[in-house]
Amino acid sequence: MKKPLVRYSQKKVLIIEDFPEFARSLRGMMINMGSKQIDVVYNGLDAIQACKERKYDIILSDYNLGESKDGQQVLEELHSFNLLKSNTVFIMITAENTTAMVMGALEFQPDAYLTKPFNGNILRSRLDKSIHKKDLLAPISRMIKKKQWAEALELCNDTTKENPKFRMACLRLKFACLKSLKKYDKALELTTRIVNERPIPWAMLGVGEIFYAKKELERALELFLDMTQEFPMILEGYDWLAKIQYQLGQPIEAQKSLERAIERSPKALQRQKLLGEIAEENDDLGIMTSAFRQAVKFGRNSAFASPDEFIKLTKSIGKQLKGSTNVDRKKLIMEAESTFSKLNKRFKSDPGTQFRSAVAHADFGSITNDQEAVEKFISTANKHYKKIEEHIGAKESLEITESLKQLGQNELAESILEEAVEQYFDDPAFIKKAEKLTTNKHLIENSKKTNQLNNKAIQCFSKQDFNSAITFFSEASEIAPNNVNIILNHAQALLKRSQKDADNRQDLQKAEETLKRVTRLSPADNRYARYSELSRLTQLMLQKA
Amino acid sequence: MNKSENLFSTILASSAHDMKNSLGMLLNALNSILDALPEEHLKKSQSNIGIIQYESSRVSSSLMQLLSIYKIENNQLAFNPGYHNLYDFVEEQVLIHMPLIEARGFSCEIEIDESIEAVFDESLISMVISNVIGNAIRYAHSKIKITAEIGEYANITIYDNGPGYPAQMIEMAGDYIQGINNSTGSTGLGLFFAQKVAALHVHGEKSGSVSLQNGGPLGGGIFEIAIP
Repeated sequence: MKKPLVRYSQKKVLIIEDFPEFARSLRGMMINMGSKQIDVVYNGLDAIQACKERKYDIILSDYNLGESKDGQQVLEELHSFNLLKSNTVFIMITAENTTAMVMGALEFQPDAYLTKPFNGNILRSRLDKSIHKKDLLAPISRMIKKKQWAEALELCNDTTKENPKFRMACLRLKFACLKSLKKYDKALELTTRIVNERPIPWAMLGVGEIFYAKKELERALELFLDMTQEFPMILEGYDWLAKIQYQLGQPIEAQKSLERAIERSPKALQRQKLLGEIAEENDDLGIMTSAFRQAVKFGRNSAFASPDEFIKLTKSIGKQLKGSTNVDRKKLIMEAESTFSKLNKRFKSDPGTQFRSAVAHADFGSITNDQEAVEKFISTANKHYKKIEEHIGAKESLEITESLKQLGQNELAESILEEAVEQYFDDPAFIKKAEKLTTNKHLIENSKKTNQLNNKAIQCFSKQDFNSAITFFSEASEIAPNNVNIILNHAQALLKRSQKDADNRQDLQKAEETLKRVTRLSPADNRYARYSELSRLTQLMLQKA
Repeated sequence: MNKSENLFSTILASSAHDMKNSLGMLLNALNSILDALPEEHLKKSQSNIGIIQYESSRVSSSLMQLLSIYKIENNQLAFNPGYHNLYDFVEEQVLIHMPLIEARGFSCEIEIDESIEAVFDESLISMVISNVIGNAIRYAHSKIKITAEIGEYANITIYDNGPGYPAQMIEMAGDYIQGINNSTGSTGLGLFFAQKVAALHVHGEKSGSVSLQNGGPLGGGIFEIAIP
């Protein structure tokens, strides 16, 4: 069979393997193929580091990497941190039947699997084919990365014509483009046609996703019920099922769906967290505790660990201590204490988390009737509170306020809630909960006023009436001067008006001034991207003006 | 399945897993000894090394089949069908055995249209086909030929020029456990596994199957798997 010759001497290779013996034999195989630039690391953490320092063309990773992250976690982190090139080939090496490893998300599959033992011939064949395919599809992937969906779509069609062999891979990319372009009918037509011919997992998932996007929840529900029946090991099916059941007001069923997925593969941090949250809502303390316990455990090797699962684990332990005398109190208290210390160690440099942890710790102390601990951690909390630079999230603010109120720390509680209401007035679920917690009647009234003004302004903006929009945004800003959304909306309206006006310098300067009021936005916040784009535009337009 | 049988098969599965890992370590250790040996020693022990490598890969693939059967029976197997190019697929199955094919001086011909694809679970069918090729190298004299065609089913056929399958093996369609025959070294596992995997492949009313014959262009055994 004629394939373009791959020049392995030009390729940078990374081998991730915890057995030095096997790593050496892999290295030998690559040298036989002509490779000259080969790095070897023995665990997942070093692998991530290596990929930060160097862009590899080929990554050969063992799935099982001993105590460290496994190969699938490495792959997912490399994707999430954007450490792979569009044409980097990632080969997963497994000890047994490869399908057992399809446990990983469909979205983050390696380019090929290899089952031990294998020889150099088979490695070369897999690499040749994967590199050939990846090189051909890389231009499409690059466009998708740049969000040039329409162009990518066209390229998918051309590539299929020239290389019918990669028809399926192109269809899959095409589906991703159509979905992003919100061309739901076309996307649905594409996946339905594939599924009618053959129920291929990604295509089936795609049909359900589109039903969901089109808000046809009942049809989506039916599809994912079918899918979990037909492909009980494709775990995304359960995730979708749970999400839809939850939205249809079936939290008990949603919990069961997640439990089914976790039965099959417990090593999923996000899924465990979600299960814990739903179990909390369902008052299922046993599942809540075990889910957050597992989340903390699997988060140890993961870059996706967050303070949430630690805090939630201590909360669920607290609930167990409160609710029943029939538990091993000593053991549970020890577990909670060790969870706090792990949390404080892991997020040492984040005052927000230290603050949140101290509040939860004081709360826990009150449950165990340890007055000394309560006082100690309240004072620790106050100390950290002064150092917080970034906005506290909506959910976290509610959690902290609730604890502080229970601890009798009303003043601090109200001031945290006030800040949060100012920031998240446009989140109805949050406001509903805040309303129950606060004693300050004006707080919620003001937030409703801000919300009305902001909505009115947005309406004017969409009708291109920028003058009125700017007036309303300024009024909203007076009530909620620190609200990031209003600031960004305001700045955007000013930029728009400046484009219409010849003498636009004044609006641009006002936009610059307005944006300067954003001082506490964390780069991890999902509003940050919009903030930096608006800042960039303002500077650009000021230079031209 | 009753409780004690269930427990037994769980122990069997975890033992198979453990044995497979041990075997992997053994092979790694052997390879590093081989790496350190001077060329002339290697040449002298060539055939013994070959035996160790071949037999351990046979044990390894048997253990893998056992594990997969366990998973199939306990609904733990992730069945993951996809479209695959048949030529590419078969070529890789041959490459798995390339060192031995070369060492024994076998010729292995692939006669497949390079543009045809079929829908199947790659890793499962790979275990089946690779196992059959391995057996063909073991029993046949010098030639293997593999063809694939698509019609109502995708048929992959493996011919060899060995003595052919024993008559009783060909006869007992569907009841492969009877194939256990200590005198010929056939445990029936490979065939049982192939049948299980074929049956997992279902499309509409049709499901996959395996058949054995003797004769054909090479005059030996003929193994055929039909995937709907």
